[in-house]
Amino acid sequence: MAPKASKYLNRELSWLEFNQRVLDEAHDPEIPLLERLKFLAITSSNLDEFFMVRVGGLHLLQASGNTTSDPSGMTPKKILNAISLRAHQMMAEQYQCLLGEIEPPLAAAGFQRANPQELTDAQRRIVEQVFRDEIYPVLTPMAVTPEMEFPYLVNHTLNIVVRLAPDEKAKQPQDRFAIIPFGRTEFRFITLPSEGGYQYLPLEDAVCLFIEQYFGGEQVLESIPFRVTKNADVSLQDEFASDLLHQMEDMLDQRKQGDCIRLEIAEAVSAETLEFLGRGLGVLDENVYRIPGPLDLTAFMRLTDISGFDAQKDISWPPQPSPEVNPRISMFENISRQDILLCHPYESFEPVVRLIEEAAVDPDVLAIKQILYRTSKHSPIVAALIRAAEQGKHVTAIVELKARFDEARNIEWAKNLEHAGVQVIYGVKGLKTHAKVCCIVRREPEGIQRYLHFGTGNYNDATSKIYSDISYFTCDEVLASDAINFFNSITGYSLPQNYQKLEAAPISLRDKILDLIHHETERKKQGQKARIIAKVNSLVDPEIINALYEASEAGVKIKLNIRGICCLRPGVSKLSKNIEVVSIIDRFLEHARILYFYHGGDERVFISSADWMPRNLDRRVELLVPIEEEKSHRKVIKLLNTYFEDNAKARVLNSNGVYERITPSKEKNVVRCQQVLYEEAVAAIKQAEKAGRTVFEPHMAPEDQK
Amino acid sequence: MNTKDSTLAETATSSNRSDSAPNRLIAVIDIGTGAIRMAIAEVKEDGTVYALERLSQAVTLGEDTFQTRNIQKATMEECVRILKSYRRRLDEYQISRDDQIRVVATSAVREADNRLAFTDRIFIATGFEVSPLDEAEVNRITYQGIRPYLAAKPNLDESQTIVTEIGGGTTELLLVQNGNVLFSSNYRLGALRLREMLKGYRVPLAKERTIMENQIERVIQQIVHEVPADKSIKLVVLGGDVRFALAQLRPEDEIPEPGNSPDELDRLKVSELSKFTDKILQKNEDELVQNYHLAFTDAETLGPALLAYTKLAQAYQLKYIYVTKANFRDGLLKEMADQSTWSDEFYTQVIRSTIDFGKRFDFDEAHARHVAFLADTLFQSLQNEHKLDLRNRLLLYTAALLHEIGIYVNQSGYHKHSMYLISNGNLFGLGQSDLLLVALIARYHRRASPKATHPGYSTLDRFSRIAIAKMAAILRVADALDYSYSQRVQEIECEIANGQLIISIPHVEDVSLEQIALVEKGPFFEEVFGLKVHLRKK
Repeated sequence: MAPKASKYLNRELSWLEFNQRVLDEAHDPEIPLLERLKFLAITSSNLDEFFMVRVGGLHLLQASGNTTSDPSGMTPKKILNAISLRAHQMMAEQYQCLLGEIEPPLAAAGFQRANPQELTDAQRRIVEQVFRDEIYPVLTPMAVTPEMEFPYLVNHTLNIVVRLAPDEKAKQPQDRFAIIPFGRTEFRFITLPSEGGYQYLPLEDAVCLFIEQYFGGEQVLESIPFRVTKNADVSLQDEFASDLLHQMEDMLDQRKQGDCIRLEIAEAVSAETLEFLGRGLGVLDENVYRIPGPLDLTAFMRLTDISGFDAQKDISWPPQPSPEVNPRISMFENISRQDILLCHPYESFEPVVRLIEEAAVDPDVLAIKQILYRTSKHSPIVAALIRAAEQGKHVTAIVELKARFDEARNIEWAKNLEHAGVQVIYGVKGLKTHAKVCCIVRREPEGIQRYLHFGTGNYNDATSKIYSDISYFTCDEVLASDAINFFNSITGYSLPQNYQKLEAAPISLRDKILDLIHHETERKKQGQKARIIAKVNSLVDPEIINALYEASEAGVKIKLNIRGICCLRPGVSKLSKNIEVVSIIDRFLEHARILYFYHGGDERVFISSADWMPRNLDRRVELLVPIEEEKSHRKVIKLLNTYFEDNAKARVLNSNGVYERITPSKEKNVVRCQQVLYEEAVAAIKQAEKAGRTVFEPHMAPEDQK
Repeated sequence: MNTKDSTLAETATSSNRSDSAPNRLIAVIDIGTGAIRMAIAEVKEDGTVYALERLSQAVTLGEDTFQTRNIQKATMEECVRILKSYRRRLDEYQISRDDQIRVVATSAVREADNRLAFTDRIFIATGFEVSPLDEAEVNRITYQGIRPYLAAKPNLDESQTIVTEIGGGTTELLLVQNGNVLFSSNYRLGALRLREMLKGYRVPLAKERTIMENQIERVIQQIVHEVPADKSIKLVVLGGDVRFALAQLRPEDEIPEPGNSPDELDRLKVSELSKFTDKILQKNEDELVQNYHLAFTDAETLGPALLAYTKLAQAYQLKYIYVTKANFRDGLLKEMADQSTWSDEFYTQVIRSTIDFGKRFDFDEAHARHVAFLADTLFQSLQNEHKLDLRNRLLLYTAALLHEIGIYVNQSGYHKHSMYLISNGNLFGLGQSDLLLVALIARYHRRASPKATHPGYSTLDRFSRIAIAKMAAILRVADALDYSYSQRVQEIECEIANGQLIISIPHVEDVSLEQIALVEKGPFFEEVFGLKVHLRKK
């Protein structure tokens, strides 16, 4: 734990606490089993990302001899030790959860991971057939001898290490080793024939079962699955580690050594094999994780999509049409009648898709400008943009290729856009374009009209069903003129100009937030009412934290809803006693960024694409959008307050960096924010239907054509 | 129709508006010293202009021209690149016709020795026809832009107001009262020009200020001499530099009203401006870019411009200055929106300025006005003969007002003195080429008819030469009609018959004096139009 004296919590440890909260959901017996399995898979994929990006960077930093402390007062070495300790603990808990809490009742419900030693004959026949036809020809063992260079293993893929008995003819008989790398394959689980229910066998178990077929006549002593995370593959250009990178530009060559920063290996491994791998990979003992179950739980995510087993899944909360959007008239007409603010996924994302689809074929639309950060495989938005370009409209798409996990996918559809005649701009040099905005220029009888959509989430119809985000549609002239300026500056058509209402990172967004916070502080100092409420995903930026501390000391009441990392230490007297930090982990990923400032009674509300992290404020193109129109303003404030009423899925951060569940007092009802929002969305459309003025016929987004 | 009260201005633009479709889209591009800027706008049905987009990209034209008097090849290509990208933006709005686009250039291009090579290169590469504006035109356009702002503030409108912008290369200055331009001039004081000069000196930051102050004060002395300090005088300034200062000094989070409604002028305390200027001048350009997120080209001009504004305000002992959002491009847009590039107001302002100019040379105002009226009447009556446009009508009117000012110098050969005075004069709104035409018309109102060897005349193209001949011929006849200098010919009616221009004059005893004058003045008319002039008493 960080030294008590520090004003800040350590960023890495705070992140691990976030993952712990996700893991807590996997433990929660109130949640259906397959959903819990999903949470477990998420903790695993989260850890992978964390190790690759943050831990990798810290290792390099430490290797460079850096001993400077981070804001929380910890040196890289100290942080790494703390991470190793915490991560081992977490791994143990993950498997205790899987093996002890989830799998047994799941098996009882008919969903079972088969024990390779207990397969029925029919099952064994099938596995053997799959092995013979699909595995054996593809996976090939490599003999590894002490003289040769250790083979290159792909980060985060499975491998099996095989220990063979010594060659008896050799002069000095010693164990021999081979490695079977799985490479990047999607294939992980073999479905087994079973009488009712669902049984599956992990690929590595199948391989181990027939391992001897690879080594005709040899004696296989053991075959052990393992997985590596190496520094050489840490993408150091990645902005997630850019604060680390910044400190070590001159020693990038070091990473060629490719230190293994994490070795995950099946628990059953013998001392000999572990020693062999440890030496070959250059991994330190504290970075070895001995796994008591199947490796790489991330893959289990795919299993949870299985059809059937409805009792083990959440009751679906389908996105609702919003009464604010009339399906019988075009989105243009809807927006020109009134500003529209939607909260996804409770309210459907469909109007966003519809706006762009309508724009694509509308004869009066002159231009569409859009930022695409991460989007889905068969995105209807991309399809609409292509159609628009084919219709001769001027379409500009700012495509961010640095979005890490989707890179290959990004390139493919970006090329498609280009072929169709879309002006594709591949991001801004040195910055990641993270703002979410779409602007449509339309020629109307009264003149040129600009329609805008601002969001807190990506233009991705798939994630829009599981991420909780805000959409704001408007044709406000000042916002439109700002948005056009914004596009002109990021596409290089113009120098950045001053915005009237918007604020953009990296130029003015940070200053604006600081101004707004200081403003509350000043008001409070003058004896006026002051108040700050914010919902962001992460709070790391020391400058903003300090401003909040200052406000707290002045007496400003501050409520923060921060899903992930929070380096602010709340509730410390003479520092932050007026600050309350809550985190909500529930079914949908909390993703919206909403800010509220009392501002002397002239309440200011903003939605934003930016988290309060240095990377967002200084190295990304982000937007801060004021919500001024009265109805939307009211709606977003109400929404924000709902997040602080939660006593079911909310955890409160204490001054030691520990999150505690809220136990609702008896007389108080249980409030689960996500459920409340869903039920409100349902009620709203029902009421509108009852009012009967309009019959609503939702246009559903086209299904992915896989 | 031809009563004396129907002013030229009132009828000037009425005919030209019929084809204006509702909501026209227009664009202006301004090639300045430090940036190429574009504004795309929509002209609403009621004629108001609504700006849709404003773009700006930095160039180093000023640096090139002010240091070497030549635009470098690389800079030229950079301009081509920027203009091509602007062309794409225009395509987006389907703005492509020449009458929708106006591209102008100011001092950096105007003063470059290779300006023709520059404008040709731009035309070849982008299809944009660049017109370098001279100083008087810049004044005229600025006036168009600032007009609504002043009109919206009655107390400003009523007092004498200096409107000025310290640009990259030049400072424009107008003195306005009740919407009338009392005085206008341009000075070779520019923020970028100062900056480039300093680069040549290579002095420390502290010393730079002294040098700039010297330069600025020299110009300000000249300004104060021409526009004497008056107790109630106000100063309205425009330009990005001072607007930046305003934004920094004004309490934050003032969110302005939507649209660009003829907005308020913002008041700025001179003492605050002065303090802010001190702060800016203590920083070098890199620090300015970092601290204020400024573009580098803006950082270069900020200090010198603010210093000049401060000095000017102090020279007039003002407590406040007014800052307007209007800019040069707004004026250009307004001109385009009005379709006829010259608006009614503008005509009025030109005539007013011409009369002021005449007064400086003790001209016979009654005679001058009357000859102008007669010339104008003839111009309109002879529309089918001369086929000249409204712009020429204004030029003739101006020339008629000034045709005799040369007498101030010397009676003998005074038409040549008139020409000299006019072509070196400063008439609001008329550029160098227009001024030359006016000067030549005045010159040819008597004595020798135009000859290829005459200075000025020989440099003109054929169309202009013919126009001058026609207008000079008309002016001669008009002058003959007031040969009595008594304005007794109050009304004329013209008729063309049998190769004659028959001018009937009612309400007069006899027309013999005018007949005699026509013996001298008539032949040139006949030479030009092929019509004998015949006077007839009605």
